[in-house]
Amino acid sequence: MALLETQQVTKTFGGVTAVKSISLKVDHGEIVGMIGPNGSGKSSFINLLSGIYKPDIGRILFEGEDITNYPSHAITGKGISRTFQNLRVFSNISVLDNLLIGRHCRIKNSLFNVYLNPLASKKIEKESEASVTSLLEMVDLSDRINDFARNLSYGSQRLLEICRALASEPKLLLLDEPCAGMNPAEVESLSTFLKGLQKSGTTIFIIEHNMKFIMSIAERIIVLNAGEKFREGIPQVIQSDKQVQKIYLGEEEEG
Amino acid sequence: MNKRLVAYSATLIAAIGLPFALSNDPYLLAITNFIIIYSILCLGLNLILGYSGLLSLGHAAFYGIGAYATAILMTKHGFGFLPSLVISGLLALLLGFVLGLPTRKVRGDYFCLLTLAFGEIFRLVTQAWIGFTGGAMGIVGIPIPTVFGWEIKSEVDFYFLGIALLGFTYVTLKMLIESKFGRAFIAIREDELAASVMGINTPIYKILTFSIGSFYAGLAGSYLAVYQTTVTPSNFRLEESCLMIIMVIVGGMGRLEATFPGVAMMAIAIELFRPIAEYRLLLIGAIMILVLLFRPQGFLGASAFKD
Repeated sequence: MALLETQQVTKTFGGVTAVKSISLKVDHGEIVGMIGPNGSGKSSFINLLSGIYKPDIGRILFEGEDITNYPSHAITGKGISRTFQNLRVFSNISVLDNLLIGRHCRIKNSLFNVYLNPLASKKIEKESEASVTSLLEMVDLSDRINDFARNLSYGSQRLLEICRALASEPKLLLLDEPCAGMNPAEVESLSTFLKGLQKSGTTIFIIEHNMKFIMSIAERIIVLNAGEKFREGIPQVIQSDKQVQKIYLGEEEEG
Repeated sequence: MNKRLVAYSATLIAAIGLPFALSNDPYLLAITNFIIIYSILCLGLNLILGYSGLLSLGHAAFYGIGAYATAILMTKHGFGFLPSLVISGLLALLLGFVLGLPTRKVRGDYFCLLTLAFGEIFRLVTQAWIGFTGGAMGIVGIPIPTVFGWEIKSEVDFYFLGIALLGFTYVTLKMLIESKFGRAFIAIREDELAASVMGINTPIYKILTFSIGSFYAGLAGSYLAVYQTTVTPSNFRLEESCLMIIMVIVGGMGRLEATFPGVAMMAIAIELFRPIAEYRLLLIGAIMILVLLFRPQGFLGASAFKD
């Protein structure tokens, strides 16, 4: 059974079909890339997977369970978490609090504890702190733990956003253009970081425009064009596909 | 942790010593008790407004619900103070839950209007329902409260009862905001969409913040009833809700400790401006405008007022 499966997922806004009958599967432990020109429906597709949009037609299955009409928070609880194309870290609060918010659905605290068993509440909160600080060590941000998120460099904020998504211990991580605004060195270290995650068992689905990055990291590439699945295959095949080059770069600028 | 223990102990000693420092002056103690009541109210409001970013113009109504509940239970049904206090808080919590339900569908300005309407309806009902609430005359002759055999009669007694309630309010709210619940409230304020993707059930949490904040207003109301020995609708007007909002903004939103200077400053300003009667509202408005211009996050606040 695939980890994630979409069946003929379709979403229209007014008269515009943003996502047209997309069926695909993501298996356990894979890194799958999705590319396509601007406006081809990639971000809409991730919004459908994370429950921000509801498909008009089609089903989304996660570990065999139909999650099509689950609200976002329940989907995160099931084990899908994501980052955003335009960075959405909570900029006015600390790095630590960002991560703890990311871990929200895994923290087994209750209002009963808060009001009537404060020691238990404190203990649970302390434990969750310990588990998120280990995430920061992986991306070398441990010394920034008490800084406001807005004071981090753009690349670091991107890493923080990924860590925040990882704090909920997802089985499937959805990344929406993680390299945007990163310099080549940061892209390189992100690549290493994601490969490490894959080794530890996280499945990753990435939308990205940085071809060098996506071709080196993804094991399988899905190409979207005008909301439809246009091609699917291993990076080498996609790269040499003349049709893909055409939709991506336009008729004139081939190469 | 140790630092916090020291701060708590120092505060406790200062709280016990304060009546003696004021040499039991009833006027100064009355102002202090006013500050205590409004601190409880504004701590609850800071949770709703400062932490969760929901603007409520009906906080005085929950204050009133607590006050009327205690007044009616104690004068007409022979309840003691402590059970009345608990019931008042829980009743405000319940009604806060009911009024919080529309937050699932109604957003921002519209929610604000809803709370405004609720506050006005509450006040009009208390004025009109003479048989139950005593109408504009209110309920008088609320008995002297006793807590575990301690008769609370003098200003100093009420001061200590108030400090106990305020301590309970502060400590429990502190526990709440340092848990996943408090962080969820902040996440909703900062970015509701991102919060829901973080696994936070945002509709439930908005109802929760509203109910919990109202709970404390109910406690404050209960205290007011026994302190004044009367409750009248004029205690719970829109002006009171607005004053609480001003206190929270001036002190600083999104930080519990900031509530205290905000309440104290405005309470003292109200007393100082008393000779100029109704013009004082003008000055209080001016203070808020100055704060918003020069220190939008409030005196000790964590975040500035948004949208």
